[in-house]
Amino acid sequence: MISAPLSRRGFLAGVGGLGVAGILGACATGSDDSTGGASSTLTLQSSLSDADPKAALTKVVEGYTKTKVTLNTIAIETFRAQLPTYLNSGNPPDVMTWYAGSVARDYASKGFLLDVSDLWSGSGPCANFSPALKDLSTADGKQIFVPTNYYWWGVFYRKSAFQEWGVTPPTTWDEFIAVCKTIKSKGVAPLSMGTGSTPWVASGWFDYLNLRINGADFHRELLAGKHPFDGPEVKAVMDHYRQLVEFIDPKGRSYSWQDAVTPLASKKAGMYLIGAFITTAMPSDSVDDIDFFRVPIIDPSVPVAEEAPTDGYFASAKSRNVSGAKDLLTYLASAPAQQQFIQLSKSSNLPTSSQVDTSTFAPLVQKGIKLLNESKSITQFFNRDSSDELQTTADTALTKFLDSPGDVNKILTEWQASAKKVLGS
Amino acid sequence: MTVASPRRTGLRRVPAVVWAFLLIPAAVEVAMVFWPALNSFYLSVTKWNGLGAAQPVGLDNFRELASDDVFLGALKNNVIWAVGFGGLSVLGGLALAVALNRPRRGVGLYRSAIYLPMVFSLAVTGLFWRVQYQPDGTINTLLGAIGLDSVETQWLANPDTALYAVLVAAVWRQVGYVMVLYLAGLKSTDPTLDDASAMDGAGPWQRFRYVTWPQLRGVNTVVFAVTVIDSLRTFDIVWAMTQGGPYHSSELLSTYMFQQGFTFLNLGYASAIAVVIFALALIFIITYLVRATKEET
Repeated sequence: MISAPLSRRGFLAGVGGLGVAGILGACATGSDDSTGGASSTLTLQSSLSDADPKAALTKVVEGYTKTKVTLNTIAIETFRAQLPTYLNSGNPPDVMTWYAGSVARDYASKGFLLDVSDLWSGSGPCANFSPALKDLSTADGKQIFVPTNYYWWGVFYRKSAFQEWGVTPPTTWDEFIAVCKTIKSKGVAPLSMGTGSTPWVASGWFDYLNLRINGADFHRELLAGKHPFDGPEVKAVMDHYRQLVEFIDPKGRSYSWQDAVTPLASKKAGMYLIGAFITTAMPSDSVDDIDFFRVPIIDPSVPVAEEAPTDGYFASAKSRNVSGAKDLLTYLASAPAQQQFIQLSKSSNLPTSSQVDTSTFAPLVQKGIKLLNESKSITQFFNRDSSDELQTTADTALTKFLDSPGDVNKILTEWQASAKKVLGS
Repeated sequence: MTVASPRRTGLRRVPAVVWAFLLIPAAVEVAMVFWPALNSFYLSVTKWNGLGAAQPVGLDNFRELASDDVFLGALKNNVIWAVGFGGLSVLGGLALAVALNRPRRGVGLYRSAIYLPMVFSLAVTGLFWRVQYQPDGTINTLLGAIGLDSVETQWLANPDTALYAVLVAAVWRQVGYVMVLYLAGLKSTDPTLDDASAMDGAGPWQRFRYVTWPQLRGVNTVVFAVTVIDSLRTFDIVWAMTQGGPYHSSELLSTYMFQQGFTFLNLGYASAIAVVIFALALIFIITYLVRATKEET
């Protein structure tokens, strides 16, 4: 009888001990990272949590055999919030997924990013990338980013639907408005746009109209706070936007960008200005029927610019294994790795390496490559050229504008006030 | 003295294992809950984006909050939410409990059907209702079928209806929970009192108001606490349905805090919002506790 409580107590002590060990273990994981592993394994921190891209990256990483690579996939919201911590920790992840644009440049200006200029020169993997991509990956004269794929934006439509309605892809603004009118006369909403749970979609037209009317340089400066949102240039943009409002499917206000693909697929809407990722949301039986055209030219004297959001990788300046990180970046930027990733992730993304054989890519993707090659200037997207915080001021202003286009002046004044607050902080 | 000394030895006689069981969870609680919570107070008087050291800015964050239209809108929405969510789910839950209290054929089926939504998480509830609220969804179709086409609207995209549309979804889920709490309360009331007052000629309303209701005091405490806490911590259903939109019209303090903290990385500002939420919760709970203790003595 005496032995029973004793053994129970022993058992409990054992459990308690295990608990302590567990807690110590939990504490130790932090130091584990900072002491061991620096040379034996590399860590790739990824925000690609959608099923296909995640599987594709896993496969690509498996192909890297020089060193063992641990792939950590984290949801984008958490990833974004944790990114400063990753970059600043004593032993940061060796390589991280990110996108080109002002956020990366911001981190670079604070000295948080690893200088990867040597990958861009000589026989480096990025040496053959286009000057536009190099420019995009440069901050303070150094390259800090390795772009591996990008995509284009365009006005997507169904070829068979355009045939039924007897319209052809327009190239000028007037032709575009005429096409909208014809489609509307068939009882179909000319433009689909899902601004419900994804209000940033409304920035697509804003960006493009600004690029077409005021040009890429003005657009970048506007997003950097060098011009006011209630100035005459932006008012000219909104005048054009206002001409579109009557053609936009009003139900789009309740839709996400994915939901808004459905009316396009079922021919209840005519066109959709969106990124090439639309093909992932299109029913498989109508993917081959999808085509796109360049957002019509408004002022022929303005050099043609296109949005081409670019994704890739960067590393922390505090990296403990600089050569390892650069070697992994070299592998990820190589043509075979790019090709494998793009094909496995089932996206319509374009490779940044000119050595990738694109002849096997879908005709739509080849057309996308041609579109970007023909443009004089490349921009990213509203949030990538500014910040996620400035993006919400655009979301508020533009969705309000879509609801009540008559209040445009008041809305622009409010937009300028909230943008000033964001840019000032 | 005679009382104190055995107590002291009693304390000493507590075995080490028990101490371990007491102290380890306490340490974990302090490290994982209290310490971060205290940090949040400190962060609320700083400007910090997660990079480097936080810069102390005094009460600037709170001053900025006072002139932030989105924050003030969210505060107003939180009041509407607390009143609407609390009021409707308590009234609805109580009414259902009273209606379904008496044993009848098939009453169990009704009770389970009403409780069923509680099984779903708030995020799932939000997604489910988002489908109902679609422009061509069930609700607009039903309204059209009974000739109320003029009432049809894009419930979640209309800034005048978005918050209330989310509120209905949240109440739909909560009402079954409150009903079950009140059903349990009604079961513990004394039926003889009800019968006696009926004999004395009290009407149904009088019997409920003066005989049943006072006996539900204990349940009311639980319902009040649950409702206040649930309404202040509401986040997921709004995030799943509108993310605070369109243009902040359904923003709550919690969603605004999340956006400021985890989308914009304005961690100091977000902490200031968190402190305001904490203060509000504290005011409610303290007032209530004071009232409750007064009633008991």
